[in-house]
Order: sequence, then structure tokens, then C-alpha cells
Amino acid sequence: MSLLNVSSLDAGYGDLQILTDLDLEVEDGEYVTIVGPNGAGKSTAMKSVFGLTSHMGGTVTFDGDDITGLPPEEIIHYGVGYVPQNDNIFGSLTVRENLEMGAYILDEVPEPALRAVFDRFPILEERQEQKAGTMSGGQRQMLAMGRALMLEPDLLLLDEPSAGLAPDLVQDMFDRIDDINDSGTAILMVEQNAKEALRRCDRGYVLVNGQNGYVGSGDELLGDDEVRQRFLGG
Amino acid sequence: MVLLGLIVGLVVLFDLGNKLMTGQVTASTLFVLVWRGIVNGLVIGLAGVGLSMTYSILNFANFAHGDYISSGAFAGWAATWVVAGLGVADIGSLIVLGAGGDVYSSQLQTSVVGAPLAIVIGIVVAGAGAIALSLVVDRLVYKPMRNQDGIALLIASIGVAFILRYLLVFVFGSAPRSVAETPPAVKGTLAGVQYSFGYHELTLVVCAIALMVGVHLLLQRTKLGKAMRAMSDNKDLARVTGIPTEQVIRWTWVIGAGLAGVAGYLLILESGTIAYNRGWILLLLIFAAVILGGIGSIYGAILGGLVIGLADTVSLVWLPSEFTQAAAFGLMILILLFKPNGLFAGRTTA
Repeated sequence: MSLLNVSSLDAGYGDLQILTDLDLEVEDGEYVTIVGPNGAGKSTAMKSVFGLTSHMGGTVTFDGDDITGLPPEEIIHYGVGYVPQNDNIFGSLTVRENLEMGAYILDEVPEPALRAVFDRFPILEERQEQKAGTMSGGQRQMLAMGRALMLEPDLLLLDEPSAGLAPDLVQDMFDRIDDINDSGTAILMVEQNAKEALRRCDRGYVLVNGQNGYVGSGDELLGDDEVRQRFLGG
Repeated sequence: MVLLGLIVGLVVLFDLGNKLMTGQVTASTLFVLVWRGIVNGLVIGLAGVGLSMTYSILNFANFAHGDYISSGAFAGWAATWVVAGLGVADIGSLIVLGAGGDVYSSQLQTSVVGAPLAIVIGIVVAGAGAIALSLVVDRLVYKPMRNQDGIALLIASIGVAFILRYLLVFVFGSAPRSVAETPPAVKGTLAGVQYSFGYHELTLVVCAIALMVGVHLLLQRTKLGKAMRAMSDNKDLARVTGIPTEQVIRWTWVIGAGLAGVAGYLLILESGTIAYNRGWILLLLIFAAVILGGIGSIYGAILGGLVIGLADTVSLVWLPSEFTQAAAFGLMILILLFKPNGLFAGRTTA
């Protein structure tokens, strides 16, 4: 049984339906990316998993539990972490306070998880008393991921983690995501940088007009002439 | 512009020094004005902290805040009268603060000297009453409108303000009346300056500063306080982080309205007279203080309160008393010209 199972999902915002009959699976520890043209509903698909859209039909199950239609503050208890694309840190809080907020649902700040985040992103430990809003784009992205990792989720949802980063930082960010995945956390990622994302992932989905287009391993999709021509710029 | 402001400030300071030297204004007079400014400023600041907090977390300017102040004051004083007046008058007359003209504060000796326990109970009831009121109003009015924009909520809050104000008139009547007795002040002379500290002024100053320090510690040190700052920073992110936003909103009302109720009680304690529209009239000055300090920041509200309070009194050195409030607002406009988002702009510290 897969970790995340999205089945025949219809969803959107208010009355506006964006996703139609979407199927999506993530296995335990798997690295899955969603790519596709602008407006295909990639981010909407991810937000729907985390309860941030209007549910219109179909089911979402996580680790065997039905989480369809639950709000994010409940879904987070099941072991799903979410890193939004923009505004994904609390700028007026210190780095450490941001990480503490990541573990808000626990009674105490989990020291082992905090230690693990600091080991993974040493810059966050150095800067822990600094106001998060004063950090660079790459550091903010690390903090946003660190915050989501504080609950040691089984599945991490990443919305365009390379967006807005300087080109020389993009590879570093992808390396870090590989590391997180290597330590056992399943990843579901939406990426503009489709070629790189497909090279890194285990499996990819190409979304077209809010529906499943192509599914396959990263290499298969990269090798598919039609996918390359239509979605990866040749 | 900044240079112009500096020159004006220096001229005013120089003129003040000149007036002091030539004896047009005595040091004792100046002391009274500054002390009154601090007392008034602390009440405005204390009430402003609550307004600023609800603004930063709920994203709307709550025009009912002034009537939370009045409601808290009436609840607290009713409690004080009942405690101080049991056996002196019947409880019905005490609860409505002698609305029928059958009990007077002079019979009850309601001051921190004459009835300290009644005053302490009154302060607690004022806070608790305003908290209970704010939670009921939130449940009935603001919560169903949570996803609407700030303007709709602001207009709803004006409606709430009117309802509360006329409910107060309905219960307590519209005539202003004396509810607190003013004990003799502590007077003396130090280095040629005559000073005078009223017991009620001192009570106000001590309570206000203690509560402000308490809120500061709460926001900076506790998990709830950090969650409040996180929410005022970014509501959507707070939600996906698992912060229970409705719970944080309830606590925001508890703190904001509690401070408003206590501020209302202290305001009446210090001035001696209660009226149904005291909070509403004070609200304009509170808004001035909060905007001046940078709306959303509690430190801005405190600093803004002191600036407005001091400007209102110290300007008496130059202006007739009719114009001092105009001077306070003039100073607010002047500061906003230089710092359009207020003194603590961009430091959203809840």
C-alpha cells in the first residue's frame, strides 16, 4: 500500500474547479515530482493533498487514513509537512523561533529533531538568534524546510523549492532535497525547473489542464520524445 | 523635511528653556504637566496595546474597542461598589452605580486608601468583564465574518460599538457621575520643585507598567506569544505550520480586551467620574497613539500613547487648553509626514 494515495480527485478554489479526476501516488520513501505547463494545476494538486483547496470529489488517503477534506492543521498531525512557495518563513521571528513554531503541535520543542535540522543546515544554527526576515533567499528556503522537518514528517510537500534562487544555489538546493530523501522522508515536489526535477526524482507526473497527462520514472519521461517536445522545451 | 522638523523641535525646546529661566513657566508647573502627560499617556498606551494586537492578528480596526473600555469600567466599578457598599445601601442600587440617585461615592469611600480590597476586586472584574464581552461578541459577530475583508469587519465593529454604548445607557443611565473618591496626594518639594503624586495616579502608573511588561514577556518568551507574533506575521503560514489559529485569536481577545477593561477601570479611578461614552471619546486618542506608533506593534502603541499624552498636556505651556488636543493630533500628523507607517513601522511584533 502506498504512503499517499490520491484517487479521482476533483478540487479547486471556491466554485472554480481546477483539478479533474486526478490520481497520484507516493510510496514510502519515494521522491515524486509534478511537472507541467503553467496553469496546469501543479501547485493546486499539492495544496489539495494538504487541505488548502475546496474538495469537490474523490479521496486522499495517507498511510491508510482517509484525510480527504481535512484542514491543514489536522493533516499535519498525520505526518505530512508542507513548504509553500512564497512567504514560507515568519520574517519577524528569529530563526530559532521559526523552528519552534514548526513543532507547535508538540508540548515541548523536540531537541533531537532540532539537532537534526541544525546538522542538516548548519547556517541555521549559526544564525539562530537572527530575525528570519533578514536572511538571503537560499537561507530562507533552508529555514522553511527546516521548519517543516521539525515534526520529522513521513512525507514532505515542496512547492517550487528552487523558485527565486540564484542559479548557483539551485543545484545546492536540489542536493539538499536529495539528502532529505536519502534519510527516508518521502518527497512530493512541484517544480518549474522540470528537467532537473525529473533527473533527480524516482517518478514524475506530467499534469495537463488539471488532469493526469503522463506518468513514469524520471528517466522515462525525460526520454519520451512527446513529453520532451511538449513540456520540456525539446 | 527632517531638518525642518529638527529646527522646529530645537526652537520649541529652546523656548521652553527660555520660559523656565525667565520664570514664565515654573519647574513645578512643568512637572505637573509632564506627570499628567505620563499618566494619561499610560492609559492610552495600555488601551492601545489591545487595539494594536487585535489589529495585527485579525486585520481590522476594532471600533468597539472604546466601548470594551467603558464596559469593563462599568463592570469593575459595579463590583467595587458592591464590595465597598454592602450594608450601606441595597445591592440593586450599588450594581447600577447609584443610577437612581440613592447612593453616592462619598458614602462608600471608594479609593485605594478607603477600600483597597474593593478596588483590587474591581480591577479584576473590569478585566474579566471586558474579556467575557469580547469573546461573546467575537463568537456572535466577528467569527462568522472571519474571511471577510477588514472594511466589512470595521463597519460591523462600529455597529457593535453603538449597541454596547446604548446597552450601558440602558443599564446605568446616561448621566456622568462620581464613583471614586480621591484621597489626598503625596506632596513635597525636591530641589525647589513642588511635586504631587496622587494615590490613584500612582496606582494607574504601577498597574499599567506591570501589565505592559507582562505582555512584553508573554509575547517574547511564551509559546502562545510566539504563535501570536507568527500569526500577525503570516496567517496562512501559521495555519499550515499547525498553529491552532482560532485558539490564538481567542487568546488575543482575552489579552486585548482584558487590558482595555483594566485601562477603563484605572481611567475612572484616576479621574473619579464615570460616563457611558468615556471609552468612545478616548478611542480617538488611542487610534492616534496606535497609528503614530505604527499600527500592529505593541511597543509602538505604548510609545505613541506617551507621545500623545505628553503632547496633550505639555502643549499647555504655549497653548490655551482648548487647543491642546489639536496639538496632540498636529504632532501625530507631523510624525506621520516623516515616518508614514509610524515610529515602529515594519516591526510587526504583534
